[in-house]
Amino acid sequence: VGKRKILATRAALTLTPAAVNKIRTLLHNKPEYIGMKVGVRTRGCNGLTYTLDYAKEKEKADEEVLQDGVRVFIEKKAQLTLLGTEMDFVESKLSSEFVFNNPNIKGTCGCGESFNI
Amino acid sequence: RQVQWHPQSPQCLYTAGVQRFSSASAQEQPVASSPSEDKVHLSESCVKRLKEIMTAGEYLRIHVEGGGCSGFQYKFSVDSNRSEDDRLFEREGVGVIVDEESLEFVKGATLDYSQELIRSTFQVLKNPQADHGCSCGSSFSVKL
Repeated sequence: VGKRKILATRAALTLTPAAVNKIRTLLHNKPEYIGMKVGVRTRGCNGLTYTLDYAKEKEKADEEVLQDGVRVFIEKKAQLTLLGTEMDFVESKLSSEFVFNNPNIKGTCGCGESFNI
Repeated sequence: RQVQWHPQSPQCLYTAGVQRFSSASAQEQPVASSPSEDKVHLSESCVKRLKEIMTAGEYLRIHVEGGGCSGFQYKFSVDSNRSEDDRLFEREGVGVIVDEESLEFVKGATLDYSQELIRSTFQVLKNPQADHGCSCGSSFSVKL
């Protein structure tokens, strides 16, 4: 038996402190949900758009990311597209939104909601 | 009616197109130029949100500019300076201001504050001037 090789693993999705806080607030007082679920959907002028939902349970194919006590599940379809993405939460007076800083994308829409890979 | 053509400025060109559109509808309805027609409506959620974020003397400004994937886009900002060509739309103590040029593109539309899990933002809905928009609703093209 050879030496066990330690492989570096990185979380598929990293959350900024702002995103962690917001998710925590969203899940507060909602014990029926165990986390949030991130996915992608075909929509918008640039092909794909992100979706965000409450997650009741972990589905088989979901990738689980646990960071600072919050759980985020990534839909199977979105795993490849989201790999290495940083999820941030940006809040201003006029809008507040989750922003995905995705290193894989080739182009986005003007408003940043839609993107292609 | 002659449509004005200003080749040196693309903005004037679009404005001319919109004027043509509105003058056509004016023929069907002689009272189309009544003030209620060029109003921007504020939805309940929009008024509620504005009450939360705005302090006295502050207005939400809607500004339309060229850009976005569909040609025009809405810009929102907080402004406490009202200039002369601004129109003010008030409801329950909160106000939205739109300058004359931008109003041509948003009159009759409804300003809404939409709240979703992934984002909460102000949106212009049911804009009679807009043909079709971007999925996010921040960009639109004009009916000609």
